[in-house]
Amino acid sequence: MPDPTFEALVERHSAEIYAYLWRLLRDPEQASDALQDTYLRALRAFPRLKHHEHLRAWLYTIATNRARSLVRQRAGHESRQQEMTEEMADLQASVGQRVMDRETRRRVRAAVERLPSKQREALILRRYQGLGYDEIAAIVGGTTAAARMNVHLAQRRLKAWLQPEDEEGRPSRRRGVS
Amino acid sequence: MSWTKNIQGKGPMQAVDAVYAAGPEARAVAAAQRRLRAALQSQAEQVYYDVLPRSPLGAVYLAAGRDGLLAVGLATDEPGFVRAVARRTGAMPVRSAERLRHARQQVDEYLRGKRSALQIEVDLSYVTPFQRAVLEAARRIPRGTVITYGEMAARLRRPRAGRAVGQALAHNPVPILVPCHRVVSAGGELRGYLGDRVGLKARLLKLEGVPMLGDRCQIAGRSGAGR
Repeated sequence: MPDPTFEALVERHSAEIYAYLWRLLRDPEQASDALQDTYLRALRAFPRLKHHEHLRAWLYTIATNRARSLVRQRAGHESRQQEMTEEMADLQASVGQRVMDRETRRRVRAAVERLPSKQREALILRRYQGLGYDEIAAIVGGTTAAARMNVHLAQRRLKAWLQPEDEEGRPSRRRGVS
Repeated sequence: MSWTKNIQGKGPMQAVDAVYAAGPEARAVAAAQRRLRAALQSQAEQVYYDVLPRSPLGAVYLAAGRDGLLAVGLATDEPGFVRAVARRTGAMPVRSAERLRHARQQVDEYLRGKRSALQIEVDLSYVTPFQRAVLEAARRIPRGTVITYGEMAARLRRPRAGRAVGQALAHNPVPILVPCHRVVSAGGELRGYLGDRVGLKARLLKLEGVPMLGDRCQIAGRSGAGR
């Protein structure tokens, strides 16, 4: 390892960055690949980095870009891989999660994945990774106010999308007409 | 019960929390961290490459690390090969005729038909365990013979994994050294090689003395034309 500080960076943040990538990608393997890519990129740029106090946010930024390009790549060919991932996630779900039925979890994931990327990232960073709005702004780009707005919009959309819309038996509007 | 009813009791954001808050399993985190450390470790190792500019198959690029040859590039160019190796190993390869001299000479002789076996260490540590099993099995196919994807799957005791075997071979990082060209489709059709370079596959098989009938080759142990 070329720099002991870099090794410390691996030890200190890799679990957290992995959890972030896992939440964005919902696929343990892809998240693991993306984690490697993130750190290899970071390693290459590390000697040139001046402000070492921002290392965590910097890793988050690289991870975010990596996940964005993976999401773009797989947008074309979803299907089988995605299904397998869903099944794996089902198997791996904690007891608490398993009590929710599979369909509910699928809907929740689909709704989160439907969010514009900045909103999805901001929501996950704020709500599940515990980052502040100023950090989120630095990671996904834009101002602190925009970061706050992205989290707010994400939650509003999810609430609207996941809210029961119709009386029982009537087809939901979102399902559309075939 | 409809999915919406399930959510109704809790509120939509609580449903989202139930799916996202827990995060990955500790085991998955540990596995990802192990992989990461290994990748960063390999970064510290140097990777070298060189090119055999005018072989009968065109330019052949070779890259090797401490544990052996880890990439062979056919139908590519220098920047493309360097990029692919860097991506796979995480290390920026450095051109070195000296480090690759031995491998280059053997591959050159092999492709000119002056040598029948290659004695070069191959490093398959960059592929998945399944792909490694497939590639190791391919290395055991003797020169001058071919087998089918289905037979290969059967040898690996995965009789239904013919397609997965095809995929693993299609992404062989070290063609020629791991003779994925000796695996063909059930009818003896050569099928893909490095994408659509079936011509390269045919030339390698001819070089190794596999009987060809037009664009098909004869599969050992099969009754059929020519037997």
